Amino acid sequence: MKNDETNELYKRFKAKLELVAGECYRVNTAIEAGELVCKVLGEKGIQNVALLDASISKKGDFANLIEKKGITVYTDHFREVTPEAQAGITQVNYAIAELGTLVQADADANVDQRLCSTLVPIHIALVSTVSLIASLKETMATLHGLPRIPGFVGFITGPSRTSDIERVLTIGVHGPKQLVVVFVDEETGEVA
Amino acid sequence: MADKQFKKKISDALGNDVLRGALGRFGDAYIISREKAYEGYNFKEISDNIAEVKSYAASHLDEMIDQFEKAATERGAKVFRAMTGDDAKKYILEVAKRNNVKRVVKSKSMVSEEILLNKTLMAEGMDVQETDLGEWIVQLAGQHPSHMVMPAIHMTKEEVADVFSGHLHRLNQPVIAELVKTARVELRKSFIEADMGISGANMAIAETGTLIMLTNEGNGRLTSTLPPIHIFLVGIEKLVPEFEDATHILQALPRSATGQQITSYVSMVTGPTPAYYSDGTVKDKEFHIILMDNGRRKMYNDEKFKKTFQCIRCASCLNVCPAFQLVGGHVYGHIYTGGIGTILTNFLNSEKDAQNPQNLCLQCGKCSEVCPGKLDIPQMILEMRNRIGAKEGLPFTQKFALDVVSNRRLFHSLLRMASVAQKPFTKGQPVIRHLPMFLSGLTEKKSLPAVAKVPFRDVFKTIKQDVKNPKGKIALYAGCLIDFVYPKIGEGVIGALNEKGYEVIFPDGQSCCGAPATYMGDRSNARKCAIMNIEALEAEKVDYVVSACPTCTHALKESFKELLHDDPALATRAEELSKKSKDFSKLLFDLGGLTPGGDGIPMKVTYHDSCHLKRSMGVYTEPRKILTDTAGVQLIEMKESDRCCGFAGSYSIKFPELSGPILERKLRNIEESGADVVVVDCPGCLMQISGGLDKQNPKVKVVHTAELLLEKRKVKENRKK
Repeated sequence: MKNDETNELYKRFKAKLELVAGECYRVNTAIEAGELVCKVLGEKGIQNVALLDASISKKGDFANLIEKKGITVYTDHFREVTPEAQAGITQVNYAIAELGTLVQADADANVDQRLCSTLVPIHIALVSTVSLIASLKETMATLHGLPRIPGFVGFITGPSRTSDIERVLTIGVHGPKQLVVVFVDEETGEVA
Repeated sequence: MADKQFKKKISDALGNDVLRGALGRFGDAYIISREKAYEGYNFKEISDNIAEVKSYAASHLDEMIDQFEKAATERGAKVFRAMTGDDAKKYILEVAKRNNVKRVVKSKSMVSEEILLNKTLMAEGMDVQETDLGEWIVQLAGQHPSHMVMPAIHMTKEEVADVFSGHLHRLNQPVIAELVKTARVELRKSFIEADMGISGANMAIAETGTLIMLTNEGNGRLTSTLPPIHIFLVGIEKLVPEFEDATHILQALPRSATGQQITSYVSMVTGPTPAYYSDGTVKDKEFHIILMDNGRRKMYNDEKFKKTFQCIRCASCLNVCPAFQLVGGHVYGHIYTGGIGTILTNFLNSEKDAQNPQNLCLQCGKCSEVCPGKLDIPQMILEMRNRIGAKEGLPFTQKFALDVVSNRRLFHSLLRMASVAQKPFTKGQPVIRHLPMFLSGLTEKKSLPAVAKVPFRDVFKTIKQDVKNPKGKIALYAGCLIDFVYPKIGEGVIGALNEKGYEVIFPDGQSCCGAPATYMGDRSNARKCAIMNIEALEAEKVDYVVSACPTCTHALKESFKELLHDDPALATRAEELSKKSKDFSKLLFDLGGLTPGGDGIPMKVTYHDSCHLKRSMGVYTEPRKILTDTAGVQLIEMKESDRCCGFAGSYSIKFPELSGPILERKLRNIEESGADVVVVDCPGCLMQISGGLDKQNPKVKVVHTAELLLEKRKVKENRKK
């Protein structure tokens, strides 16, 4: 486990995310993350998943691990597979503790990153625990400090929602109905 | 004045239980969730920051636009500046035709509603789908959004199910989760098939050329991910100078709009991003940004309306508006609704279109209190009213009434005559319960008070003032209601101030403060009233000028200065009067208050904050302290104590059908408090609330703070025999 400050940030993130109907986990290593993801997929009865490989999933050998459970793993042709896939796994760049928010900010604005996290009904987001940022203000400063603002920066806070009919909150409109966030303490390097 | 057709729309809206139910439920829940969302955050600091960055952008607009264009172009965007809505539509149509576009998806854009873009595209045979659920529903139903943030708030699930059934040619059950699922499936097809996406933005960052969108459903993300052509249609007021300036708006917009800490999605787009083309290749999409003026610059160049640039379109002004809550958005007639909408309609549509809806503003000021952009919406609406009044003149009956009011002798002799003439209506009682025929709307929900037999100006001469150790002299400004309807309040004021060591004088030449003219947009009569009173009150000769009517006090302190700013001699006198004028509760408090005391007889009271006293003058702790210093008084706070009572001067005459339900809510809150007495500091509120209680709950009494002191402290036994 990391130092107290990280623990505190994680605690805040988790509390905020759970307030908006997200699920939150934290593990030590990429391997453990893979095992946890397999378990989650199993519990949700998932038969196929779109996996956009990144540092955590590579290190944790997600593709093999998940396939061994008898679940089909798509690792390319995302434009064709994501509209039908039952879940998507991506890694995000930052997490904002203040709000329970994930931040996608790939330097190359990879479109697959968005397909695998938006079209699928269940989004599993992997995030390196060290990339937790305390506040929105610091996050904006971090993004501003990048060599250039990425073409697409996406904040994700919980699943997609609407209250457009009679002000009744309904989860899952155009985006995912479920958001599962897995923090990984082990340092695996940059997202890509 | 509101015309007949407009009145009809209001009565239709009031008759729509669904609408009133939904708006009412939302309004109540909104206040709580907004407060909760801001917990631990400094709203004032956030709104100061927003006002700062947005006002900077407003006053450097050309620079902002140039900078934005340069930054976005460097990142590969094509930036187009549209002067008018037609320019924007023409540009979009050209892009669409050049690319042989058949299917368009849109994610929420009020700007495209403003210019009726869908109609143009559909006329060219294109399939255009709104993708925000609320907007899609409204589109399928062939209607307009009734709220900036919640477009379909006026519809029930049953109505939505009917709309879906009609569109999809199969039966849809009125089950919200199922309806949402259907929308997901249907719109997913549209997203996948779309050749082009059109979206609005909540912010455009000049420094980096970045566009920022906030959505909850994910339609903004999909619109900027799937179609290989993307056009952002953005009003120039969305410009923000630097990237990190967006932080302030991100902190406020979701909290003020829906009481969320942050929306599910915030998407920031800088230049074209890769997209899949129909042949399966991935390359940068075709990416256009239209910065649209369409009347905006005219609004920002107008000194009185410049601050509209600071609006972040959160719609919190709608959500707290007592009038909006009753009638909803469609009554406003155009795309932008509520208070801010009325102003936008005035500039972006036409002055004519705004003429009716501007009447709906009560001038209660609640919207200014919650506005994260620090806009004074009521003041701007008043300015519109003035301009309409100056340009078109007021209807004869109104004009006549105001001409009479600004002629002191005529007005006062009419009032004296009225105290005799009203007898057939009062039937010997102190209130008028019924008025004949066309005036009956006025007394449907409340009784009107009778004009006093002896006006205060005559009572005053009979009051013996006993001042020990005199400290100075105070001029009493009575105002019409105290002078001619509630002279007792004046007696209470004198009693309390005498006790503080001040002699009170009553300058005879005083007359109406001009507020009725001001709020009806008749500046010339308001000005006459200002001059008359400045000359009569001679503030130079006294220590203070006291008024026990916050609307009058506001006139003495603020309006006179503003009305006379172009006349140096009078402006100096207005300034002097402004400095010396205080509302009764505030003055008594500032003089140290009365020594705690009173008859000690238990009395359960609740306090109603008048709009002018609380929001214009920031006075609300002072009267409470005065009350609790009175022995026997037990103060119980009612719910929403600072919510308008619905009187709002001539409003209750113009819109009795709105004033009535607003009053009913106040009466309900009073009743729920369990108090026996309602204390107010404004004779207007007194008249409104006592009129309502007289009909519905005559056991509860309403008194002015000064009257309560008179009663509980027995300082009244000083009348000359």
